[in-house]
Amino acid sequence: MSAFANTDELQTIMVELWNTIKSDPSMSTKLLNSKLIVQFRYREPDGIITIDCRDGKQFLVYGGDVKIKPEVEMAMRSDVAHEFWIGKVNVPVAILTGKMMAKGPVNKALALLPVLKPAFDIYPEIYKRHRGAVSTKVSG
Amino acid sequence: MNPFVFHCPTKVSFGEHMAATASDVVRDYGGTKTLIVTDEVLVKTGILQPILSGFAKDDYVLFTEVPPDSDIDVVNRAATVAREAGCNCILAVGGGSVIDTAKVVNICLSLGGKLMEYQGLNNLDTRLGPLIAIPTTAGTGSEVSMVAMVKDHAEGKKLLFGSRFLAPDCAILDPLLIVSLPPKLTAATGLDALTHNIESYTAVISNSIFTDALCIESLRLIFEYLPRATTHGDDLQARAATLVASAMAGVAFTNSGVGIVHALAHATGAKFGTHHGLTNSIFLPHGMQFNLDVVSSRYALLARNLGFSNSSNDEEAARALISAIEQLSTRVGLPNRLRDLGVPELKDTQLDELAFLASTDPAIMFNPKESSVDDIIAIYERAY
Repeated sequence: MSAFANTDELQTIMVELWNTIKSDPSMSTKLLNSKLIVQFRYREPDGIITIDCRDGKQFLVYGGDVKIKPEVEMAMRSDVAHEFWIGKVNVPVAILTGKMMAKGPVNKALALLPVLKPAFDIYPEIYKRHRGAVSTKVSG
Repeated sequence: MNPFVFHCPTKVSFGEHMAATASDVVRDYGGTKTLIVTDEVLVKTGILQPILSGFAKDDYVLFTEVPPDSDIDVVNRAATVAREAGCNCILAVGGGSVIDTAKVVNICLSLGGKLMEYQGLNNLDTRLGPLIAIPTTAGTGSEVSMVAMVKDHAEGKKLLFGSRFLAPDCAILDPLLIVSLPPKLTAATGLDALTHNIESYTAVISNSIFTDALCIESLRLIFEYLPRATTHGDDLQARAATLVASAMAGVAFTNSGVGIVHALAHATGAKFGTHHGLTNSIFLPHGMQFNLDVVSSRYALLARNLGFSNSSNDEEAARALISAIEQLSTRVGLPNRLRDLGVPELKDTQLDELAFLASTDPAIMFNPKESSVDDIIAIYERAY
């Protein structure tokens, strides 16, 4: 069973997570300083999240397809993303075993991994709160 | 036993005069027109002659413009030559820079499109055309690895490509091709292979008995034969052992990653153009000291396996391994301080910049111990 019921649920959880990261200066400042545009492309269920910090001032979070060319693209199954945010995925292992794909200047994205550590504590609550709620809403 | 994934997509052919079989290998893989990627120095040495003699004149084109520090412009020029000649196979003859260049040319030739679209890790989803590699140094392991690095000098960037489809289809290891390698280069590339082994064996995900076995035997060969290969370049037994050891270390690190020593060597090399193997050899004992508290048992296992210690105390045995590496480095005539490589003394801001480069190098994520910028600077200063 997938960690996410559908695309809506996946994107709702991820967008809220990234908005929470955005509101926490301990994480957002370093992400803004990177001036990166990072896009996460998920599959099973599909989903796209884009984080745009290109001007170093605005931290923009997009869910779904956007006409923005990311500098770094990370692709993985949605389950792998879930396991990452609950701290169960070792990124080096995931890359060496082919579970994660990184496109672009990988070093820039990897440099941000330690910055995101506080989000590991935030994610479970967001996931728990939305898990099921979005899929219920979607199915009516 | 822990679960693991182990890739070894490259067929390895080893033996004296084996390089002369390159044309047969090319034909085995369906190659009818081959781009031979190499460098001017090798052309002048005559090393290529036995390799070229197996090919009909119209069956290959030579590209000899690869510099020691290859670049995306070189890749594009080689790809253009290959396309214009209608090549469907690539043969790389040279050191790490030549083989890495050939890997990236293979992406251009096989997939077309914009090269930058393929930069990254696991970013290729299809097999490439046949690539055969013949190493002329014994250290980089590029002939069996799944990664390639080239520079974009215009942008001042280093481009990393990593995919299981990038590994050469066949590596031809011929010790006759490395007998003329100068002593200093022999020693430095040998220490590069040694560093691959030490870092692979202790990498954060090094849980494969396959990589462990490769590292242990490769280290044994290096410790036993590198001094002989360095002092007596024509000692074929020693040359053969170091060549095989390098490929074994290459298979190991491509499966488990490297670590903080490579991250520091990449950063220092990028700033000061220092030789990769030489820089690794200087950082290695300091990187090992840094990691000692988390991987002393792994170092100790190596020390006992290689006969450097029979102590049951892990830390004592681990220190014996570090000491053996320092002694080997001295014995093969390598310097042990960065200043000996002409690296200038750095100001605080320059140290910060170098530490940032090292801390964002992909190699560091495989290190068994997390490191802060201060840790990295401390290692650098000790190595200086």
